[in-house]
Amino acid sequence: MEKVRGELKLDFSLTKKQQELIESVKSMAAQEITPFALQEEGIHREKMLISLARMNLLCPTVPKEFGGLGLDLFSTALVVEELAAVSPGLAAIVAATLHAAEPIILAGNEQQKKEFLPLLTGAQAGAAAFALTEPEGGSDLNIISTQAAADHNGYLLNGCKDYVINAGIARFITVVAATDMFKKKASLRIFLVPHHAAGVKIEEIYHTSGINLAPVGRIRFADVNIVGEHVIKSREAGSGYLLLTQTFDVGRALVSALAVGIARAALEEALNFAENRLQSGVPIKKHQAVSFALADMATRIEMARLMTWKACWLIDRGGDYSVASAMAKLASSTIAQEVTCLAADIMGARGYIKGTLIEQLVRDARVLSTIEGTNHIQRMVISSQL
Amino acid sequence: MSFRDIGMKIQAAREEKGLSQEQLARLVGCSQSALSNYEKGKRRLYLSQLEKMAEVLDKPLEYFVDSLSSSHPPQPTSSDRDERFVKLVNLLGRLSDEEINEVMRYIEYLEWKRSGGS
Repeated sequence: MEKVRGELKLDFSLTKKQQELIESVKSMAAQEITPFALQEEGIHREKMLISLARMNLLCPTVPKEFGGLGLDLFSTALVVEELAAVSPGLAAIVAATLHAAEPIILAGNEQQKKEFLPLLTGAQAGAAAFALTEPEGGSDLNIISTQAAADHNGYLLNGCKDYVINAGIARFITVVAATDMFKKKASLRIFLVPHHAAGVKIEEIYHTSGINLAPVGRIRFADVNIVGEHVIKSREAGSGYLLLTQTFDVGRALVSALAVGIARAALEEALNFAENRLQSGVPIKKHQAVSFALADMATRIEMARLMTWKACWLIDRGGDYSVASAMAKLASSTIAQEVTCLAADIMGARGYIKGTLIEQLVRDARVLSTIEGTNHIQRMVISSQL
Repeated sequence: MSFRDIGMKIQAAREEKGLSQEQLARLVGCSQSALSNYEKGKRRLYLSQLEKMAEVLDKPLEYFVDSLSSSHPPQPTSSDRDERFVKLVNLLGRLSDEEINEVMRYIEYLEWKRSGGS
């Protein structure tokens, strides 16, 4: 797009490379994910993860020198939207893996990057998990109870983390813990815990309402020895909280992309239905009530996508992205829930049958206002910076 | 707690160093308005930015984030007893559930002894 006036040059078009990336994800998804997407309980999870690993898409932000694609966040959001449009659960696995890797990419030392990031890349790639929420205090850092007590060799980790996405399939777990029970938030550190470490126990995998492909569970850490080399910024007391907030601000943009993918899938399904379902001798899309609903859905999805793109654009440029990211997550998750419900309305009773795409998308969308900080938290983040 | 608390610490350290907002902003590579928002807590600081400020202002990172501590738990003071109490609680954090039970049994024994052993 040419400059029209003034100095500001905005460009909403995708690069050739980004278009090719989208096409390659679409093509793989059509053959290897879509046919199994409605079969829940993770039966086909392993095959889908292998398909993603073959394209090195499990954690595309990992820099090339550590085996990743080295994608910027904008391009990564495009990938997440495509995956969410065919399998929200699979996209959630990817988003959680990206979240777990982000503190390492942002602030890990060379050794930590060499040891942990390659686990998420290449044909043998696996997922990773990010563990913050706790059974009692949720994600309130003022009352975090998981504690890492310093000992001669590093830290001894004790505590319980709940609702951890990728519990049981993660190669490693990025754990947030306090190192001083009086300072709590000010003493937070981020620990990299191999899944096989002694004392790590998956206590329960939940039967969730949506995103069923992604295992969500509770993990207990009992006297887990963490060597100093597995602590991010181990020598800089006070670094954990700021690193954590930055990780969330990045993650929110990706959850926003996930929401856009879910909403898009709902619109496509409803549109297809409306073009083929006849009533009074014409497709129901010809009825104004339905066509207006479709128009509203498309408009809201465009809003959500543009907000997602802006947040990612700011992140990639090192701009001030905290508010943009929170706004994108707040808006997109709300829109995804509205759009999936509107799509279910258009499809009538068909949208209420267990095992249909719309019924699944309505359940998948529900989680979006909870993960990566509830929508009330997003409002707090936004209002604090007004 | 809030980023406002961190901002107030930045302002205090800046003034202690005798720097204007404009001077500090130039030294850490941000605009004066951005720094002003950091100090007011109206803009989120990330680790790399605070690390730069800490370096310029000759303060450890901990100085700025210590203000994030909740005001509700008891804060350690300079008294020896409090320091020992903090150390004890941190040591307890390293123990297993069974070991904590042992410690509790010992504390119960001490209380029993203090009450005259009846």
